[in-house]
Amino acid sequence: MNLKAIYKYGSPPNFYRFVTTLEPWCFFFGVSLILIGSIGGLFIAPKDYQMADAFRIIYFHVPSAYMSMSAYAAMGIASIIGIVWRSNVAFAAAKSIAPFGALITALALITGMLWGKPMWGTAWVWDARLTSEFVLLLLYLGYIMLHASIKEQKRADRAASLVAILGIINLPIIHYSVVWWNTLHQASTISKMDSPSIVGEMLWPLLVMIIGYMIFFIAVICRGSSAEILIREKRSNWVKEI
Amino acid sequence: MDTYIRLFSRETKVAFKRWTDVLTGIILFFLIALLFPLISDSDKDFLLKIVAPIMMFSAFFASLLSMQNMFKPDFQNGSIEQLLLSKRSFVGLISTKIISYWVFTSLPLILVSVFIASIYFVSGEAILIIQLTLLLSTLTMTFINAFTAAITLGIRYPGALMTLIIAPITLPILIFGSKAIENSILGLDISGPLYFLTGMMMLSLFLGPWITASALKISMD
Repeated sequence: MNLKAIYKYGSPPNFYRFVTTLEPWCFFFGVSLILIGSIGGLFIAPKDYQMADAFRIIYFHVPSAYMSMSAYAAMGIASIIGIVWRSNVAFAAAKSIAPFGALITALALITGMLWGKPMWGTAWVWDARLTSEFVLLLLYLGYIMLHASIKEQKRADRAASLVAILGIINLPIIHYSVVWWNTLHQASTISKMDSPSIVGEMLWPLLVMIIGYMIFFIAVICRGSSAEILIREKRSNWVKEI
Repeated sequence: MDTYIRLFSRETKVAFKRWTDVLTGIILFFLIALLFPLISDSDKDFLLKIVAPIMMFSAFFASLLSMQNMFKPDFQNGSIEQLLLSKRSFVGLISTKIISYWVFTSLPLILVSVFIASIYFVSGEAILIIQLTLLLSTLTMTFINAFTAAITLGIRYPGALMTLIIAPITLPILIFGSKAIENSILGLDISGPLYFLTGMMMLSLFLGPWITASALKISMD
């Protein structure tokens, strides 16, 4: 990794400028990809022979489930960078990821429940993936609450980051211990690259949706962290100039 | 070595002085385990079925509640800062502190669990397995709780927040611990869960003191 780049974007004004120029682009592409994906998924893709139209909720469920985990990974990486380089910018990014991560985890759980009700007959089963998604939500909430309940900014940042890093170490252990315990959820359908068990017409909207969610999420984080940095640096000169 | 022994004996004196903190865990362990048969069903088969989760559940809460004030008094009277200023390694001193805390709060649970197991009609070898499981899992939980107690040091009422942070992290230990007890009662193979618990114990033994020490440093500056 190029250390110079870290130092360059680690300084708040540079990061702020980078993020605010990135944000509209990501917002535009994210929203348009999500629109294309939803049209493709909701109207163009053929009906499933078993699940009829109800399967279409996966176009919202799968991307949110993907994002909930990658957002936690991003939060953990930002926390590690923050702890190692004492970077205020990384802490701001980690802090702004947390609420949206929690939100999208809740979204994944809710869409999953809506899908499970007609398909499995119940909204909730004590299955490995559902349970570890729920545990992920708890990890997000723990981070947010810890950050909110420590008054002093710097201490709150570093304490909450330690919790996020511990969560990253623990997440695979939690996941596999729950898998070992019980599993009903169907295996994922697109990671089997050589023989995907989903037809192309159904697949492309899903991929578009996943990428769209990701880019839109980046836009949201850009917005959140730029606001966070302005709050943190409100006494410095470059903020007063804006 | 001398320093560690002196720290340990100091912790012993403090534990006898603050006996209410130490007793909290044992009382809670007893209460949860005794109330369950009273409010649900005292049928023998049913009790044998639920003894594993109850055992882990009450051990979890006992260790959580007895440890939420682990560092607070020492933090307020400044003795933790003295440990930080000491020539010896801070991590080593902290691990001595954590282990001595485990001896006073969790070791009694393991002794008491014989009684709890017998009122749940567990007999024979399974009692030993329950003790072994509790030994491994409370040690792991103690390190996790110590970290959380250190990180929530500046907060006035950390109880609910500590539970929220600890619960997801402790979940694998609860699952495998109750699996081990259940299997031993049913007469099945217990080596898998016990290996897992031992692995987690070793991991927390190495990682726990270090991460707790850095959490304490964060809370102090």
